[in-house]
Amino acid sequence: MNAASFLPLAQLGDDFFSDRSEASCIRDNGAFCLDWVVDNLDRYVAPTQEHLVLVLVSVAIGFLIAFAMALASHRRRWLVPPFLGATGVLYTVPSLAFFFLLLPITGRGTDTAIIALTAYTLQIIYRNIVAGLANVPPETKDAARGVGMTDRQMLWRVELPMALPEIVAGVRIATVSTVAIASLAVFAGGGGLGTEILDDLTFRTGVVVVGLILIVMALVFDLLLVLLQRRLTRWSRASDAARGVGSSRLGPLRRPAWTGR
Amino acid sequence: MAVKPNRLGAAEALSVSYEETTKIYPDADAPAVDALTLDVAAGEICVLVGPSGCGKTTAMRMVNRMVDITSGDIRLGDHSVLDRAPAELRREVGYVIQQIGLFPHQTIGQNIATVPRMLGWTKEAIAARVDELTALIGLDPELRDRYPSQLSGGQQQRVGVARALAANPGVMLMDEPFGAVDPINRERLQNEFLRLQAEVRKTILFVTHDIDEAIKMGDRIAILKEGGELAQYATPAELLMAPADEFVEDFVGSDRALKRLSLMRVSDINLWQAPLAFVGQTCAEVRAKLESAEVPHALLVDSERRPLGWLSDRDLESEVVPARADSSPDPILDVSDVLRDALSDVLQAESHYAPVVDGSGRIAGVLSLEIVQEFLTSDDALTDEHPAAERPLTST
Repeated sequence: MNAASFLPLAQLGDDFFSDRSEASCIRDNGAFCLDWVVDNLDRYVAPTQEHLVLVLVSVAIGFLIAFAMALASHRRRWLVPPFLGATGVLYTVPSLAFFFLLLPITGRGTDTAIIALTAYTLQIIYRNIVAGLANVPPETKDAARGVGMTDRQMLWRVELPMALPEIVAGVRIATVSTVAIASLAVFAGGGGLGTEILDDLTFRTGVVVVGLILIVMALVFDLLLVLLQRRLTRWSRASDAARGVGSSRLGPLRRPAWTGR
Repeated sequence: MAVKPNRLGAAEALSVSYEETTKIYPDADAPAVDALTLDVAAGEICVLVGPSGCGKTTAMRMVNRMVDITSGDIRLGDHSVLDRAPAELRREVGYVIQQIGLFPHQTIGQNIATVPRMLGWTKEAIAARVDELTALIGLDPELRDRYPSQLSGGQQQRVGVARALAANPGVMLMDEPFGAVDPINRERLQNEFLRLQAEVRKTILFVTHDIDEAIKMGDRIAILKEGGELAQYATPAELLMAPADEFVEDFVGSDRALKRLSLMRVSDINLWQAPLAFVGQTCAEVRAKLESAEVPHALLVDSERRPLGWLSDRDLESEVVPARADSSPDPILDVSDVLRDALSDVLQAESHYAPVVDGSGRIAGVLSLEIVQEFLTSDDALTDEHPAAERPLTST
């Protein structure tokens, strides 16, 4: 037996580690080994796609359910407290616990993950739709009825469009939170970027890369939804401008000194 | 006009008849409106006025069934409002509220087009109607694509009126439409609205708590007491001349006499005539006329009979009438002046008489403090009916 058989790494290492910084970075478990990331980018494509699907499907289903609940409780106000209570409970249950609770019922897999993530979005979206509808001024509703709108016309032509800023805001919060929580879907066998973390929790670069992807994903979703919101609610920014909100005219700061006298 | 007839009977104004209309709100001890019977002729403005809690708004809102009628009926033209589906009925009755209630998420043009769109007008018909209405309310066409929040309160109120007029309803309901506007703009909106009404001639139910607004806007005024009881239904002049009871008298206010003056124009009363003197005429002639004259002063006029000044006794001592009079003719009033303003001018000038001229500046007569006083106690003030809409009380 020669030395080489006892120390295969060391033997390899002398020419391997010394002229490749990546290798030393990996060996030292550096916080972020760029070269390694560049070389291994492919391995993140599939988990990222899974993650996107988890988020999009959960938020979409969550929105549809919350929207249906909001419509149902819109003319039946007594439904609002039980709906808020029920979605509140779903929201409060820790996601990890929820995954494990569902396992005996739905088994491991993407479905289980989506059910839990969807349940989590309901409270945020439902609460915002209800608030948006409730914030429509009574005189606007009176005028809508006065010009002869039916309840349904009033809902679709006046109340929902006016509630859009709040509704989109709810979807934004729900989406961004779901991006984060979907990392836990791996515990339900739902895949996603969580798999890459769980794969080797001690590998620092791997964890950092996943974190960066999650941040970028959340920012991109948020940006897209902001753009959507702006497109859908030009009128609301017109109101803000008319009120001087967000304009550069900061009244008190620019008040001439003599007004104090 | 890009206007379609509607089921209630085309674009014509409709009469409104309350028939023992009663509203009792659930859990209320007393009716909000108690067996109200009231006829509003087509094309008239009927102002419902009274203290708060008198049921005036409830009475108005029963017309388009925003408030359900407990018993009795309301007829628009020949049709009972109870025979119609509420939403359908409301599309044919204009509705303007104090808070305006424009849809903030729609442009001005879309707001105005609300009812025609629900009625399924063609795009072209709607566009034409929006153009017509923006012109009618005097709104800059460029504002059509703005949102309500970008307009001033007065502009928004005009748009509210345009939206109510869009499908050419036979009846308009207006609930304190100018209540939230500052006094200067309110005056302007009122005048504008009267000019508009002279053009469109709708039957209008107008709710206000302000008796001055009622007198200005109403062809007829219905004063309601608490509990929705009709205290008096009369023309503004009648109401001011002969209040039916103490309640009406109190509500109308102690300055009834002055309020009546604001309903009249100088041309509405019989003016006195002053002896006229032309330059170069002999003074003896003028002095002779003075002896039998209503006005004890001679008025110097030019060859076009335009007043130049009052001649004093000293002026008339000479042989012929001089070219200049001793005292100025001011204030010179116009026949179209509102009597109240005219009186104020006379009082302010510390004068007793004031020459009144017609549109071309020629002398039409003389207003004296006595005639105003006589007029206020005469029956003329009562029998003269002055539809406010025909003659908006602006001095312009």
